[in-house]
Amino acid sequence: MGCQQLAAVTYPNPDVCATVEGNFVPLQVEVNNQEMVNRFGVKWTPTLIVLDPDEREHHRFTGYLPPEDFIAQIMLGKGKAEFNLDRFEQAIQCFQEILSKHPKADAAPEAQYYLGVARYKASDDPKELKKGLESLRRDYPNSEWAKKAQVYALIP
Amino acid sequence: MAKTIEWEKSLATAKEKAKKAKRLILLDFYNSH
Repeated sequence: MGCQQLAAVTYPNPDVCATVEGNFVPLQVEVNNQEMVNRFGVKWTPTLIVLDPDEREHHRFTGYLPPEDFIAQIMLGKGKAEFNLDRFEQAIQCFQEILSKHPKADAAPEAQYYLGVARYKASDDPKELKKGLESLRRDYPNSEWAKKAQVYALIP
Repeated sequence: MAKTIEWEKSLATAKEKAKKAKRLILLDFYNSH
């Protein structure tokens, strides 16, 4: 059911199409492909996975999402991949894009958290973590990501 | 006519294209039934 909704609602959306085509090589695999299902440990559909060209997984989500949340999730995946590959400036751009274009998406608080972390990694300035916490407390105070960042309040 | 997503069907081809284009892969496991 979730797959049919993605195909009927989310994938035909022009913004979704442009974001997927502009940032990824899209690959679709039917769940009856047992070799691929075992390879990626897939138990439910739809399952979306962001991989780098060496097949390392950076982000995964399961279930139907409407266009705006879908775009925010895949851009979060791109940002996390860039972050994991030590490309912090590119990661920062992805997280900023989510926050400026999709601030109400469910992925936005996580993007805000990682934006602070990526800025810290890029600058080596711990104050960036504290700034990230302040943004989370202001914009997403009830999110788990605000809780996770609360330790940064201890940074002088 | 509206543009649609052009999905690859093979992981090997997707990896090759991603390597060449320096892009990530978005892998969608779906159930057509």
